[in-house]
Amino acid sequence: MRRTFSHNVRAVLCVAIVAAWVVLGLTASPVPAATVIKIGIDLPISGADASIGIPTENGAILAIEQANAKHVAGPNVVFQPYVLDDAVQGKHDPAQGAQNVKTFIADPAVLAMIGPFNSNVAVAEIPLTNDAGLVQIAPSTTNDALTRPPNAVKLRSAHPGTNTFFRVCTVDSRQGAAGAQFARKLGFKRAFIIDDNETYGKGLADVFDAQFKALGGTVVDHEHITANQQDFKALLTKARSMNPDVVFYGGTTSTGGGLVRKQMADVGMKNVAYMGGDGIGDEEFIKVAGTMANGTYYSIAAPEATRLPSAQAFVAAYKKRFNSDVGPYSANAYAAAEIEIAAIVKALKADGGKMPTRAQVLKNVAETRNFDTPIGKIGFDKYGDTTNPILSLYEVKDEKKVFVNQISLKTT
Amino acid sequence: MDVFLQQLVNGLSLGGIYALIALGYTMVYGIIELVNFAHGDVYTLGSFFSLAVLGFIGIQGELHGAPLVGVIAVTVSAAMLLCGIVGIAIERLAYRPLRNAPRLALLITAIGVSFILENVMQLWKGPSPVPFPSFFPDASVTVGGVLIEAKQVIVVVLAIIMMAALQFFVYNTKLGKAMRATAQDREAAQLMGIDINMTIALTFLIGSALAGAAGFVSGIYYGTTWFFNGFSAGLKAFTAAVLGGIGNLAGAMLGGFLIGLIEAFTTQFISDQWSNVVVFSVLVLVLVFRPSGLLGESLPNKV
Repeated sequence: MRRTFSHNVRAVLCVAIVAAWVVLGLTASPVPAATVIKIGIDLPISGADASIGIPTENGAILAIEQANAKHVAGPNVVFQPYVLDDAVQGKHDPAQGAQNVKTFIADPAVLAMIGPFNSNVAVAEIPLTNDAGLVQIAPSTTNDALTRPPNAVKLRSAHPGTNTFFRVCTVDSRQGAAGAQFARKLGFKRAFIIDDNETYGKGLADVFDAQFKALGGTVVDHEHITANQQDFKALLTKARSMNPDVVFYGGTTSTGGGLVRKQMADVGMKNVAYMGGDGIGDEEFIKVAGTMANGTYYSIAAPEATRLPSAQAFVAAYKKRFNSDVGPYSANAYAAAEIEIAAIVKALKADGGKMPTRAQVLKNVAETRNFDTPIGKIGFDKYGDTTNPILSLYEVKDEKKVFVNQISLKTT
Repeated sequence: MDVFLQQLVNGLSLGGIYALIALGYTMVYGIIELVNFAHGDVYTLGSFFSLAVLGFIGIQGELHGAPLVGVIAVTVSAAMLLCGIVGIAIERLAYRPLRNAPRLALLITAIGVSFILENVMQLWKGPSPVPFPSFFPDASVTVGGVLIEAKQVIVVVLAIIMMAALQFFVYNTKLGKAMRATAQDREAAQLMGIDINMTIALTFLIGSALAGAAGFVSGIYYGTTWFFNGFSAGLKAFTAAVLGGIGNLAGAMLGGFLIGLIEAFTTQFISDQWSNVVVFSVLVLVLVFRPSGLLGESLPNKV
């Protein structure tokens, strides 16, 4: 008796559950759910890279939010930022970047991605996006070999004929050359070069090395440091014995750019100038180096958004939304997101509102020409690089960055 | 020649920090034959504790004279005490329950404790380098073309004081004698009425306190600290302990100073990126010809 009773209870329960499920399903189905299209954002947003990574992330998020507010893809399509952090133990990590890209690829709603921030992370990611046909636009990765042959072809191992990697910043052959010109213009004759042995840092330092010599300067020595190094006093003592008037650092603050500058004070090199690329152009550098940050010159592979007439609306909207100032690469990330959203919208329209494929989005991004963004009209050349590269030069004074000059390197 | 002497000064300062950490490695190894991989992180913890104490005192600007000595004394004692307590806690919670387990279990536990400490520090101060208050006078003297900073003097002086005190403690006190007896033969020592648990806890207390002192001086010396510093510093200090002869106190000091000097001279005369290669090549060479390290006695049946 007992057994039959419990059987009955079970049967009733099962029917009830199925009924409830059917009813709920029926009531839910008439309202068409909005189509969610995700844009992957892979940047270092914790640790020593966060001070430049987070403002970059914010730029992309702002573009996505504005697109949603304007319903650029119709009322039923919602863009959603899908943010993953590629910093491990406080700094950008290629293996983590690759892991994040695999996560994006596995999610069919991700049609495009923004990032990474660092060139060595890009080296780990490009083969994956190439294989999956997922388009990525990087706001700030400047190493030449990421897009230029012959090395870029090796990264596209799955589909050598397809490029999925684009960038809205310029390349290190330009940045390093501009840095060398800047250094010569400031009157420096003897440079001691240090790099962090990473894709970006070494690439930039090598260009600076060659260009500084070509412009009549002397490179007294070119040294490489190792990961997680804390003591640079021996290295800087060596530098001091060679009597340079500038120390050039190829690398990021997170790989030692700030510590090297700080320890220059300890070995009696307080009055020797310091120079670097966009890797030390972050707030973190000033925080780590403290008062020694003064007398540092660096370049950013992007325009200074606050000075561009075309970027004023963006700068104001950013300030309103995040209650902070734009970072060096906020506008670039914003432009990258705008380009991707436009490419997705174009694909949606061409296909009568059906969910576009990654291949369509990739094709539309690659065809971007004269696209209006806060940082100017952007198009991509045959390598996937911007046709409108702009460099800005800065100096650190009173522990604040001061804009010095802007160099436009427009191509067609 | 100037450069040679300058690098000598750099190498000795760096070596002083390595030596202080290496002492903790060698003491723990001597007494329970454990390579305590968490020791490097206790060193970093020392700099974090110092930071907290300095923040508590509320240091502003450079200090001189008596206030400077007072602040150093208070901070270094607090950092040493707190690290000592952490050391005892680690031993009690993680190592003592496994004392008779296979040695591999103990080793993996040590690596686990290291990860725990790193992550706790990351949660505490975040994953970026943390600036140290610059209360220490930025003074320096130039002797015959060699620039010697006050910071470098304090590192070396503090390291030597600590080592002398330790040497005195181990060889001239009753507790030190108990420690040596336990290291020699744990069971026999127990039969002689020595409280083994207390002695081992004491070893962890002293070793961790020395790491705490090293953490404090590194904070002054570099002006920054970072939760992950203990990883590479710990590895170098462990190398120093092995180079000098693990289990041997004088050997740890010698090894620490030697590695500091090798790093500085390699950077000067070869290249910075080769300094680790040279350090470890020297280690391999020494171990080939003297398997028990420079000052180590040959210890059969240890690991």
